Order: sequence, then structure tokens, then C-alpha cells
Amino acid sequence: MSRNALQQSSLKSNFFIVWSELVKNLKFLLAYPVVFVFWAIFPIFWFVPFVLQGQAFVGGLQSQSFAQIAGTPEFIPFIVLGAILNSYVLTSLYGMGESIRREAYRGTLDYILSSPCNKAFILIGKALSESLSSTMFAISQLAISILFFGIELTIGIIMPVIFIIILLILGLYGMALILAALSLRYKQAHDLAHTLEYVFYVFAPVRYPLGSLPLWAQIFGRLLPLTYALIAVRSLMLLKESLSFVYLEVLALLIIDGIVILVGFYLFNWMEEKTKKSGTISHY
Amino acid sequence: MAYSKENEVFSIQTFNLTKRFTKKKHKGIFGFLRRERKKERQKSKHPEVTVALDHVDIKIRSGELFGLLGPNGAGKTTLVKCLSTILIPDKGTAVVNGFDIRKQTSMVRASLGLVIGGERTLYWKLTARDNLMYFASLYKMPRKQARERVEELLETMKLSDRADERLEDYSTGMRQKIAIARALLHDPPVLLLDEPTLGLDPTFSRQIRTQIKELSEKHGKTILVATHYMDEADQLCNRVAIINDGKVVAVDNPNKLKSMVKETELVEIACYSPPQDIEKHLKSLCPDVDIVTLIHGDESKGNPSKIKIIGGNAEECVSTVIDGLRRKNVRISSLNIGVPTLEDVFIKLTGAKLTEGGGQ
Repeated sequence: MSRNALQQSSLKSNFFIVWSELVKNLKFLLAYPVVFVFWAIFPIFWFVPFVLQGQAFVGGLQSQSFAQIAGTPEFIPFIVLGAILNSYVLTSLYGMGESIRREAYRGTLDYILSSPCNKAFILIGKALSESLSSTMFAISQLAISILFFGIELTIGIIMPVIFIIILLILGLYGMALILAALSLRYKQAHDLAHTLEYVFYVFAPVRYPLGSLPLWAQIFGRLLPLTYALIAVRSLMLLKESLSFVYLEVLALLIIDGIVILVGFYLFNWMEEKTKKSGTISHY
Repeated sequence: MAYSKENEVFSIQTFNLTKRFTKKKHKGIFGFLRRERKKERQKSKHPEVTVALDHVDIKIRSGELFGLLGPNGAGKTTLVKCLSTILIPDKGTAVVNGFDIRKQTSMVRASLGLVIGGERTLYWKLTARDNLMYFASLYKMPRKQARERVEELLETMKLSDRADERLEDYSTGMRQKIAIARALLHDPPVLLLDEPTLGLDPTFSRQIRTQIKELSEKHGKTILVATHYMDEADQLCNRVAIINDGKVVAVDNPNKLKSMVKETELVEIACYSPPQDIEKHLKSLCPDVDIVTLIHGDESKGNPSKIKIIGGNAEECVSTVIDGLRRKNVRISSLNIGVPTLEDVFIKLTGAKLTEGGGQ
């Protein structure tokens, strides 16, 4: 008998799980070539309506009243950054929850859950593959923004921005893990993801500054990781601040990440146990 | 690494394994608007329960090819799922390869290979090689070792030349071979095979059965085959447990089980167009026999229906039965006396039918 299966996981074998999951999901993605049409259109089409709408309202590319609450008169780069970071919300929330459900549809969930490996690495692989497509969206959106909307990207801010995005993604993975756990038990996580997407959309400063919201909504918005990520990234890219200027946002992101990831893993294990008792793992 | 008792080594042993499922009633789209009647309200307070496993105690020796024979819904898959830790039993436990299914789940999972749910449990959009490589990673195999093992198994399954084709282009039998290869990836000492030949044509069924036999005889694997095909259990297994309504009603080797039905106790009549009430009619003609049962055959395809008369003085009733069938205008195709099958044993023990059409 292969002793590997009975042994403790090694770093190498865990990396292989993450890698295999990532490769599997990418191969699935590439198995449907129509996805490229979506990839080509979505990055541009997502924020163009907001830009045109803003221009129509303000009558130009800058707004002084906008500057009073956002700190910058240029609302287009503001919205563009909101769109880019928000695309991680979309893919993370829908991706993880739905990927568990897709496994149940395919009939492979039983096999995944009956394997001896740590399921966390499978979920990390799933999350990474979702982030990869988000990053492709983000890069193409950013390229368009640099070319057409005057966003400046210097070498010095690339690393801090990536750092903030990683912190955002970790928090979103935690939330996606909660959704994945709920989809194990209640099967339909899509509607919850949809609701959560709009919560992010309304209460986080995606299209408008946080100051535009009433006070209670601002407090609620500050519970969301996207809020801190947006404030930090905009400070770095639009207001040209340094990373030390946004240390409070970084701290808030770290705290939120820690909480939601822990809750996510706990909930996933709990729901897995419950579905194994009820015999509904393979239901979808 | 197996559980041992009285000089016998058991790779699988269940202790009082019990699993119940609560039946959920769906009220329809506007059901929530309907006022529940008193009886219904009481029912919903005490929902109907299906006993899928009822205090099951079985012992499977190391290296044994053990059959679990029963009709659909008998509890076979539930038992396989409990043993593979996909389901948590309500009561009792089991030990697989020396590990408790409740307390040592990871070790149990590492000890067994699972074939359940047929061909749909693979990724059809991926190639055979991709599928096997992916599942190898879940069994903590290093990449290089996984690659070598995958090649070896593709060779064993005679699918090396089609390894880079997507499974959606495979036949059902080929996909089932990949499902078996997946179960063997980590070379486990115990294999749980749930209906391994379901939906396969006779050629592939034969191939799969030969492979199962080889795995037991040449590689010393402990194999549990859950099936509703009596021929499969009869041909393959060293011992067979007959399961019905979640209860194991008999465990022994196939020949000993078949000897439970004496030659004089069995009459089988193949016939066409028997009326629905034929069982009742023949029972009234032969009150001393234990069971008269009709198994419908696919008559449009030339497979006759079968009437089985089991127990008591079945042999002595032959002329009475033939007369009775003629009076009901039933066309008799053949008549056999005293060649019991596992299905006859099942019928004798449970009074129920194993399969419509008499198995594969």
C-alpha cells in the first residue's frame, strides 16, 4: 500500500493539491472557449456606463463637489479603481460557493470529501483559480484605465497595492468559505452571494465615497473588507500617499481577514459534519 | 493493520451499524398556504423515518472478496457510504483496516479505495490522465510518484492510448475502468465497490469482474462488492451477505446459501403474459408451498417472465401449477426444478424480489 495516504501531509504534497485544483479549474475554464468573449468584453463594459453617466451628470471629467468628499476631483479613476477591486468580490463570492455546488452537480463532491487530504488546500486551490480570473480582469481594466482615463501607475506603488489586494482577497476568501459552507448544507448559495454582492456594492465605496452614505450606513460599510481596501488603494494611487499613511486600513483588513477566515473554516467543518449526518452531501 | 479476533483477521468489521433517514414531504409550490389538517400536523411532528441500516454486524476477512447482495434501496450504498466516512451512522461504528470510522476518519479514508455512483463521478471535461492526476493529489501522493502510478494504472486498464482524450468521448465501460483506476491510485488494502458493473454491457461487465477477481486473488485486496446482480455476487464472491430493508438476513458462501433452498423446494417456470393475479391463483392451488412470486421479464425483447415457487413441496405441485397456468392461457416457455440461485435464497429469506427480470 502506498504509505503516502496514511502519512502526515508534507508541504510538497499540500502544494500539489493546491496546484492540481488550480490546474483542474483552469482546464475547465478553457474547455468552454466562449468564455474568452466574456473576458474580452467584461472589463471594458463593466465601468464604461458609470463613466459616461458621471460625465453626463457633471459635464466633464472633474467635479469640485466630488473632491470635497473624495479628496480628488477626478471621479473616473475613482470609479475605475472601485470597479477593479469589486471584480474580486464578484469572482470570490460566486466562485467558491458555486464551485462546491458544481462538484455536487458533477457527482465528484463525495470523492473529494472522502479523500484523506486536508480540505483547506482544495479550497485554497479553488480560491486561487477564482482570483486568477479576477486578476486577469483587473489587469485588463487597469491597462484600459492607464491608456484612456489617465490613471498613473508607478513602480513604487505596485507592491503596496498588490499587498492591499492580497489582504482584500483573504477577507473575501473567508466570506466565500462561509458561502461554500452554506452551499454544502443549503445547496443554493448563489442567491446569498447575490445579496452579499449588493451589500458590498451599496455599503462599500465602490462608486461613491463613503462620506456619501448616511452615518449608520458608513458604520456598516466599515465592517466590510472592501471598504478598507478601496480607501487604501485610492490613497496610494490617486492621492499618492505612502503605505504608512494607510496603516489603520491595513490593520482593519488584517483583523477582518483573521475573523472571517476562522469563522469560514469552522463553519465549513461544521456544515460538512451536519451534511454527513443527514446524508445530503451529494444533493444539489 | 486490521482488526483481529480469535485468530481471524478482519479488514472490515461493523458493530451494530444503524442509519435512519427522515423522509421529507414536499407540499408543492403553494403548499405553505394550505392549512394543515390535524393528522398532517401530527405527522409533521413525527416525520416518517426510513431505516437504511438496522444494527448491521458484518465481518470481512483480510483478502476476502465479499458480496453485499440486495435490491435497490436495501441499504447497500448507505453501508458503503458509512464505511467510507461519507455518511456518519446514527448508532454503532465500524473498523476499516484497523481504524474506527468515527474517530480515525483520515486513516480510514487513506486505507480504502472507493467506486460509488458510477461514471458520473469523474470530470468528463478532463482527460483520463488529468482525472487520475487530480485525484492522486488528494491522496497526498508526490507528483512524480503520482505520474508513474497513473501510467501504470492506464496500462493495466488498457487505456494508455486514449489517456489524453476527454472522458466525454469515452464509453460508459471505459469511464468505469477509470473510476476503478482512481480507487487504486494509492494502492489501498481495502476496496469498496458499489454496483461496479451497473449499466455496462456484458463484455465490459466481464472485464470489470475479471479485474476485481484479479485484485483479490493476485494483489490480496479486501474487496466489498455491493450489487443487486445475483450472478455477480455468485461468480465473484467468497462470501455473500444478503441485505434487505437495512437488515443483513444471511451471510455465508454462495454455495452454502444456495443449499438453504432444497432441490425439491424450487420450481421455476418461464412464461409469457401471466395475469396480474397469478401469484394469488397459484398459491391457492398449492397452499403448502411457502412462496409464489412473479418476476416480470421484458417480454417484448423475448425475455419471458418467471414464476418461482419456493418451499414446502414445490416439486409435487408441478402438474397442478401447469394446469392452473393453462387455464389462465399463460404460454409456458420452460420449466426448471431444483437449480437454486442466490435470488431464490433471497426470496425464501425475505419474501421479496431481488430484481425485476431476474438480474443481469
